[in-house]
Amino acid sequence: MATPISSKRRDMTAHPIVTTLRRVFRDRTDAAMEPASLTSRRAAAMARFVELGLPGRRDEAWRFTNLQPLTEARAAPASMAETGVDPSLLAAHRLPGTAHRIVVANGCVRPDLSVIGELPLGVWFGSVVDAIDLRPDLSDTAFDVSDTIGARPFASLNAALFTDGFVLAIDPGVVLTHPVEITYLGKSGACHLRNTIRLGTGSQATVVETFAGTGETWTTAVTTIEVGDDAKLRHVKVQAEADAAIHFALTRASLATAASYDGFLLITGGLLSRQDIQVAMTGEAANLTLNGAWLLRGEQEATVAPSVDHQAPGGQTNELFKGVHGDRAHGVFLGSVMVREGADGTNARQLNRNLLTSPTARVDTKPELTIHADEVKCGHGATVGDLDEAALFYLLSRGIDPAMARHMLIEAFAAEVFDTAALTPQIDAHARRYLNAWLGAGT
Amino acid sequence: MTPILEIRDLHARIAGGREIVKGIDLVVNPGEVHAIMGPNGAGKSTLSSILAGKPGYEVTAGTVSYLGQDLLALAADERARAGTAMNAARRGRGEPELDAAQTLKAVRAKLKLLDIGDDLLQRPVNLGFSGGEKKRNEIFQMAMLEPRLAILDETDSGLDIDALRAVSNGVNRLRDPARAIVMITHYQRLLDYIVPDHVHVLSEGRIVASGDKTLATDLERHGYAHFVEAA
Repeated sequence: MATPISSKRRDMTAHPIVTTLRRVFRDRTDAAMEPASLTSRRAAAMARFVELGLPGRRDEAWRFTNLQPLTEARAAPASMAETGVDPSLLAAHRLPGTAHRIVVANGCVRPDLSVIGELPLGVWFGSVVDAIDLRPDLSDTAFDVSDTIGARPFASLNAALFTDGFVLAIDPGVVLTHPVEITYLGKSGACHLRNTIRLGTGSQATVVETFAGTGETWTTAVTTIEVGDDAKLRHVKVQAEADAAIHFALTRASLATAASYDGFLLITGGLLSRQDIQVAMTGEAANLTLNGAWLLRGEQEATVAPSVDHQAPGGQTNELFKGVHGDRAHGVFLGSVMVREGADGTNARQLNRNLLTSPTARVDTKPELTIHADEVKCGHGATVGDLDEAALFYLLSRGIDPAMARHMLIEAFAAEVFDTAALTPQIDAHARRYLNAWLGAGT
Repeated sequence: MTPILEIRDLHARIAGGREIVKGIDLVVNPGEVHAIMGPNGAGKSTLSSILAGKPGYEVTAGTVSYLGQDLLALAADERARAGTAMNAARRGRGEPELDAAQTLKAVRAKLKLLDIGDDLLQRPVNLGFSGGEKKRNEIFQMAMLEPRLAILDETDSGLDIDALRAVSNGVNRLRDPARAIVMITHYQRLLDYIVPDHVHVLSEGRIVASGDKTLATDLERHGYAHFVEAA
C-alpha cells in the first residue's frame, strides 16, 4: 500500500517517526474494546497518514514550520500508568467560578477529577470514550468527519490514534448558562485528542479549553464544530503548555445560517505549536469573530493559521491576531479568507499585528484574500514593529524602570485583543492569568 | 541653600551630529519658576531632552547637578525617581508608601484640586484623548508624583484658550516653596497665566538675556531678533 504521492514526499514518509508511529498504532491495546467500525476507520486513517508522511518545507502551509523537535521519543503514548495529577497544578489552571468541568490527563478524560455538575435538559457533555458507548450517534458523526480534506497528515494520525477527548452536543433552543471547561494536563509522550462540539438551532454555549501540560509532551487535538442556524458558540482556547511541548491543533467549524462563532486564542506555551482553524461559512449571514494573541520567547515557535471560506451571502468575519516575539522566538501567521462566487455582501476583516522585542526574533505573516464575488467588503493587513521608543521614554521619564516600562507596553499591545474580544469577567480573569504569568516571567 | 538645578557651561549635540547647546549656565532655586523662551532651533527642546535623559543626545562639556548630585550620571528613570515617582519619592522623604486604597484616595483628591472629572479614571491610558486632555493628564501626573523639579516643555502647544487656562491653573496650584518649575515655550501667552520669577532668552544654544517677567513683555514687543542681535 501507500505509494508515495510524489518524490518530494518520499523522504518524509521515510522519516523514522513514521515507523515509530506505525508501531504505536499496531501495539494499541484498546482496539478490542471499541466498535469494529471505529477500528476500521482508524486503520484507514493510519494508512492515509503513512501515505502522506510528515509535511515538509515544500508544503506551502508548513514551509515556515520547523519539525525538528518532533523526535521519535515524542511518539510514545502518554503513559497510562502515570495517573498522578498535582491538585494544586489543576487548581492553578481552572476557570474561576462556576463551570461544567472535564479534566483530561495524559490523553484520557479523568472522571475522578472532572466535575460536570448538573446540565440542562438537552445538553450532552462527556468524554469521547463514554460517547462511543452511550451516544454512538454523536461519536459516529464526529469520527466520520473526514481527515481526507486537504492532506492533513496530523489530522489523519489523530483519527488513527486518538485516545479520548470531549463531546458537547446541545439540542435546539437550549442555552447553556455556565461555561463548559476542559483542562488538559500532560506530563510526557503523545496525547491525541478528538473533540466535538455540536450546537443545535438557536442554542448557545461557551467552551473554554486550557492546555497546561508540564513536560516534553506532544499533543494533537482535532476539534470538529457545527454551529446550527442562529446558534452562538464562544470558544476560548489557552495553550499554556510547558516550553518543551509540541502542540498541533486543527479546529474545523461549519457555521449555518445566522450562526455565530466567537473564538479567542491565547498562546504562551510550547516549543513548537500550530493552531489551524478552518471555518466554513455554509449558511447565510453567518458571523465569525476570531481574536488571538501569542507571546513567545526563548526558542518558541508558534503558527496560527485561520482559514475562512465564505460560501454563502452576507457573512461577516472579523479577525485580529497579535504576536509578541522575544529572544529567538518565531511566530507565523497564515491567514486566508476565501469569498466564493455568490457569497455577496460578505464583510471580512483580517488583521495581524506583531511586536519584535529582540533583534533575533522573527515573524512571518501572510494574510491572504481570494474573492470570487462582486458585492463584498474585505480588508486585510499585517504590521511588524518593535517597541515604540517615544512611549518607552515617556514611561522612563516618569520614573518607571526599563523592565517595567517594556512590560507595560507589551501588556498594552496584547491587551487590545482582550478588549476587542469582550470576554466575560470570568473568562477574562482566567485568560489574563496566562498573559500576566508570561509578562511576569521576564521580558 | 542648595539649588534644585545647577547647569554649568553645558554643551551638547545630537548624537553624531552638530552642536546645538553651546554653553548654557542656569541656576534654579527652590520655589522659583523659570521660563525659557526662544525661536525655533534655539536648543530649547534639546535642553529639556538632555535634562530628562532622552536617548540620542551627547553632552560634550559642562555639568548638571540636581539637588547637588550629578544628574547626567543617572539613567532617565533614575532621574525621574530621584525627584518624582510617588512611592519612591515618599521613601526618599522618609514617608510611608501609599497602598492601593490610599493611592486612589490621593488620586481623587488631586483630580479635585485640578478640576478634572473622575471619568478620567475609567478610560484607558491615552486612548482617544484630545490634545487638551493629554496635557491635563500630564499635569495630573505631575500632581501625583509631586516632583521637586518639573520641566514643562511646550506645555501650551496645541491648547485652546480654555485648556490653556485649565492647565495653567493646575500648574499654579502646584507652585510650592520646595518645588521649582522650568517652562519652555515659544509664546509669551503662557506667561500671562503662569507668571515666572525669571525669564531667559535662548538663542543659538546660549542664554542671551535673562530678566524678570518684564523681559517676556519686551520680547513680545520687539521679537527675538532684537535680543539675538544685541547678544
